[in-house]
Amino acid sequence: MAGKATSTPTTYSPSPTSHKTKVPIFSDDRVRPDGRGFNQCRPAFFRTGAVNAASGSAYAEFGNTKVIVSVFGPRESKKAMKYSDIGRLNCNVSFSTFANLVHREGSDHKEYTTILHKALEGAIMLETFPKTTVDVFALVLESGGSAKLPIICFSISISDNFVMHVVGDLSVVISCASLALADAGIMMYDLVASVSLSCLNKNLVIDPILGEENCEDGGLMITCLPSRYEVTQLTVTGEWSTPMLNEGMQLCLDACAELAKIMRSCLVDAAPGSEE
Amino acid sequence: MVGLSSGEKQFIQGGIAQDLRCDGRKRLTYRPIYVETGVIPQANGSARIRMGATDVIASVKAELGKPSSLQPDKGKVFIHIDCSPTAEPAFEGRGGEELSAELSVALQCCLLGGKSGAGAAIDLSSLVVVEGKNCWDLYIDGLVVSSDGNLLDALGAAIKAALSNTGIPRVQVTADASSDEQPEVDISDEEFLQFDTSAVPVIVTLTKVGRHYIVDATSEEESQMSSAVSISVNRQGHICGITKRGGAGLDPSIILDMISVAKHVSEQLLNKLDSEIAAAEAEVEDDES
Amino acid sequence: MEYVSPEGLRLDGRRPMEMRQIRAEIGAVAKADGSAVFEMGNTKVIAAVYGPREVQNKSQLIGDQALVRCEYSMANFSTGDRRRKQKGDRRSTEISLVIRQTMEACIMTHLMPRSQIDIYVQVLQADGGTRCACINAATLALADAGIPMRDLVTSCSAGYLNSTPLLDLNYVEDSAGGPDVTVGILPKLDKVTLFQMDSKLPIDILDNVMQLAIEGCKAVANYIREILLENTKELEYRRGV
Repeated sequence: MAGKATSTPTTYSPSPTSHKTKVPIFSDDRVRPDGRGFNQCRPAFFRTGAVNAASGSAYAEFGNTKVIVSVFGPRESKKAMKYSDIGRLNCNVSFSTFANLVHREGSDHKEYTTILHKALEGAIMLETFPKTTVDVFALVLESGGSAKLPIICFSISISDNFVMHVVGDLSVVISCASLALADAGIMMYDLVASVSLSCLNKNLVIDPILGEENCEDGGLMITCLPSRYEVTQLTVTGEWSTPMLNEGMQLCLDACAELAKIMRSCLVDAAPGSEE
Repeated sequence: MVGLSSGEKQFIQGGIAQDLRCDGRKRLTYRPIYVETGVIPQANGSARIRMGATDVIASVKAELGKPSSLQPDKGKVFIHIDCSPTAEPAFEGRGGEELSAELSVALQCCLLGGKSGAGAAIDLSSLVVVEGKNCWDLYIDGLVVSSDGNLLDALGAAIKAALSNTGIPRVQVTADASSDEQPEVDISDEEFLQFDTSAVPVIVTLTKVGRHYIVDATSEEESQMSSAVSISVNRQGHICGITKRGGAGLDPSIILDMISVAKHVSEQLLNKLDSEIAAAEAEVEDDES
Repeated sequence: MEYVSPEGLRLDGRRPMEMRQIRAEIGAVAKADGSAVFEMGNTKVIAAVYGPREVQNKSQLIGDQALVRCEYSMANFSTGDRRRKQKGDRRSTEISLVIRQTMEACIMTHLMPRSQIDIYVQVLQADGGTRCACINAATLALADAGIPMRDLVTSCSAGYLNSTPLLDLNYVEDSAGGPDVTVGILPKLDKVTLFQMDSKLPIDILDNVMQLAIEGCKAVANYIREILLENTKELEYRRGV
């Protein structure tokens, strides 16, 4: 196998059959398959207090995407863990067995879990609950796009059974988790809002659904603290020119600010004093 | 696992603020990069990159596989990183798994491009042998042998060098089978094809320490970071992927500033790396002849 | 299958009593207290030693001697066919144990009570005899870390195929299913610390094969001693002595 192309190196050229004309995803001008404009997010719906047993919980619905997040704790950290003068955050993202079109065992998604953790830890005042742990469990009930991760294959390469994890709704999960944390009374610097965006044939499409995401040239997901105007997580895939990226980021940040308003009003509605 | 006294911390932070780091570098200077290619004879391509005390190996193995039904016109690329406990005792047992997973995801994000294949390091459609039937599966394995910070950039560079070193056997379809059978293929033992690696981006990680950010941080410097942004940039100066590490928030304007700095730095890094890879490849060929 | 040709040559062109080329290098991992690369033909391993240091897990602390730990891992790309192995499978656990016991026997653990020494070996290329290569690399790394030892430990394998004793089996010979003897010795003290054998072998032939392996160990020991001497001279030179 050690053979290298010591002769004249020929470039591995694409097979000629691979150039097929793709069916354009936007049939009409600036209208998307689900009838939205390019800069229009899906209608967002939030409700806190979805799970009675949890110290805090939230339910979010963005179009077809339905997510439920429950927060437990702060509880005493396990004895085996070392002393820590700041609190610990324990996250888990799972999908229900019926979340996707293709039936699959409801499995844990380690990659999503890490990103959720990183997105939230910057917003929570961990120093307010030393020696304790807060659990954040997210369950994607139904998934409809908006997973800003590259093709996740390393976790499944053992079986060599290539399954594309394109579905998943990380940004919805993150926003919903911050609402659940607020509901549980965990101290935070700010709510965490997350919005994703796709770049399709030089068009920026905000809050993409599955079909759009599958043929995107580039993807962007921003998680930010809207009031502090700080970015806690940023994931970009695909090819971007700088002006395009700037525009995309600005678009996402604006959308995050809007989203935060909806989230805030949901919290205000749920507050005991606000009801008649 | 870095144990620093408060004096040492002050010294590192002060040095970065004055644009003179502990090892004498400026904020935006890389350590010297040493490239060695063809280090793993049983792989199709391999490379070893050393930057200071950071030492990583990347190997590329190609196997014939079947394209997924969703994308019959594309091959597959798998990236997996392992952290050897030789690099740090903390990686013992399952201790390295978390970092391995984080690095794997970051590299997939930075190198594999968008879903349509834009900005990908390797044109996936070039891996197809017979559409819907046969394709090459590229297994890219990285191993961290010794770690002194900036693992992501080093692994990105090692993968780039390993891909430049990769030879894929030429495949001839001998019998065109009917629609539902696997076609017979003849894999050549002598003829190897090389990849066009000009599109492979480099990864530049900017680590924010105090109010400034630095490239190629050592592990001591990384222990003082508030957050780090890894930006992968290709020859055209286009961004091919960004990931952020560290929980602390960043102002959007700082991120934009980081992107423009990364673009500037990446140009020098690409040139440096390309010449190093070419030199390493020439050496391999000298040895063979 | 014919492993030794009528002319008396093995598959890779060696004579039955010939070792593969060995190469060693000290100091491959800058951050470790001691490290070494050891190559036997196409087999290549890296060993890194951390310690003696404070015991990390207090329950493992030994009051009157040092705790020696070892972990063996194989890189994904180390074998011909790429297979992802889970860490801590049975084979690597067994080899870790063998290496640990072998090294523990030569480290003067009573000089470092209440402390811990970690030996990590990483296989980069596997072509038979990884166990031996790991032990040899670990010896060098321990010496580089300056850990007091009774003697060097060196290891070499030997086998018996086509009625011929063969020294230093490569992967093809190793997987032939014939008897495979791995020996580790303390060359100065002239003692055997490790002895493992697969398959069966008549007792009178075992003696021959074992002697052959011991000769191999001695050859490795001579080479390792040379490398250490060279390294020491270089250190001396750098210090300006």
